[in-house]
Amino acid sequence: MKQKLRNFIFQELVFVANPELFSDDDHLLEAGLDSMGIMRLIMFIEDEYGITLPDTEIAPDNVQSFNALEKWILRHQKG
Amino acid sequence: MNTQTADILGALNPADSFTLAMDEEIRKDGLPGSYGCFALELSNTPDINVLQERIGEFSQRFPVAMASLQQRGRRFYWCKRKTSPQLFLQHHCPADQTDSEFQQIKIDQIINHKQTRETITPIEFHLLTGPVKNTFFTRWIHPFCDAPGISLILNYLCTEGMEQRQKFGPPAAESLVNVQLRKYRWWQKIGLLLKGKRYISELDSQESIQPFNTDQAPQRLNYTIKRLSKVQTEQVIKQARKCVGLTGISLYYIACLIRALDKLNPENQGEAYCTPYAFNLRKQRALSPMTGNHVCALFAQAPRRIVKNRKKLFAHLKQQNADAIRQQLDYAFLPLMWAGSWLPLAKYGETLRMSYGSGKERSSFWFSDIGRLDFPTYGFPGAEINAVFNVCQVSAPPALAFLSCIYQNQLTLSYNFVEPISNLLQIETLHQLVISELLGDSS
Repeated sequence: MKQKLRNFIFQELVFVANPELFSDDDHLLEAGLDSMGIMRLIMFIEDEYGITLPDTEIAPDNVQSFNALEKWILRHQKG
Repeated sequence: MNTQTADILGALNPADSFTLAMDEEIRKDGLPGSYGCFALELSNTPDINVLQERIGEFSQRFPVAMASLQQRGRRFYWCKRKTSPQLFLQHHCPADQTDSEFQQIKIDQIINHKQTRETITPIEFHLLTGPVKNTFFTRWIHPFCDAPGISLILNYLCTEGMEQRQKFGPPAAESLVNVQLRKYRWWQKIGLLLKGKRYISELDSQESIQPFNTDQAPQRLNYTIKRLSKVQTEQVIKQARKCVGLTGISLYYIACLIRALDKLNPENQGEAYCTPYAFNLRKQRALSPMTGNHVCALFAQAPRRIVKNRKKLFAHLKQQNADAIRQQLDYAFLPLMWAGSWLPLAKYGETLRMSYGSGKERSSFWFSDIGRLDFPTYGFPGAEINAVFNVCQVSAPPALAFLSCIYQNQLTLSYNFVEPISNLLQIETLHQLVISELLGDSS
């Protein structure tokens, strides 16, 4: 799952000189993921994993890193 | 080699052609064309030799900066000139003017300077110096680059090491609009094109409210810059997060401006406020492409009945934006821009501006948010950047363009308006209403 998210974010949304050095805990918002990017990312996740992410949960804690994103998605896949 | 093509440096991409059509529309209004301008307010007079050197290096790497925009057949191209134009111009405050007067007069001259499309230099760097105020003022014509591009160009000029500067570009980077278009098969393009047309028709089912009465002929662009304090900026961001969440800071500004306009002139004719806004096809933090336009358009539209209710307006704009992205309406504009680039300029401009139904102006105002700007702290040669602002020409109607950016944690608002259709007094009143909306004092 994280690899899919990495591919989407680094290919479509944010430029990082060495993506392989970007860890799963590194801060995506500080790396440049902006409001429009988050919107696109959420649409990608909803299409890819067949879940709906509630607006009320779109918060820095859930989108700040690959690990945070994975946890957020898994919570909704299980629920 | 064919003499018709020997001097061609490059063709316009579909997004460049889009801005060229708007250039034609602005010129038709008797204004100079689609200028964009970006100002860096400096701490002191910079190191002019280094600055000149970097601008020279930039123009060598990106020769299109010195090109002439010319029509060949139906299309427009960047063509080589016989003699290189001057890109770097210096202006010093004369003894009989105060610093502020001089800066105001000079910037007014630069943004209202009329020149034919073929002779105009794609980008000019003006250094305005005086006893206290020093401003580095960049003016470009929009087919040359977009706002994120100018931010990259200024970052390039602010980058000290040659090796670091080489990372910008590369000059031959391909148009992202064409890259995106190539991802679709021909039938998918047609599907998107039809989707785009339906999207526009739906927007046009409601007549757009114009902020000002445009009975008078447009004469000149004026602007006013309002800079919020760090505390106010923090409050605005907090309010934006609360009202529209992480995904819609720009939508928050749009909503606040719409509400302020409605309070300013509640009796204005029309059914809905409608504003185009661009989304950037570049990846965030990417150092290329620098030149050319790599944006696509979306619209925010809000019926007047919703505008009255602040909470409902935020929810409406957020839902509209989410639906647009979900339905790929953002990309649906790409094939439309491609098709439009084959139309005669006047026809294309009319299609972009005029509502299918009423034949009236579609945009209630123009909007652009560059977001947070991040120039290297000590990068500008020999001076620090204390503040920034941007300015742009706009067609009349709507005669109003609202620009925003954040630099050093201060939100800067730029109101661009066409006189005598609007005036400074009206804009000052509008700003008070906008501030109250942004800070969340208003309900």
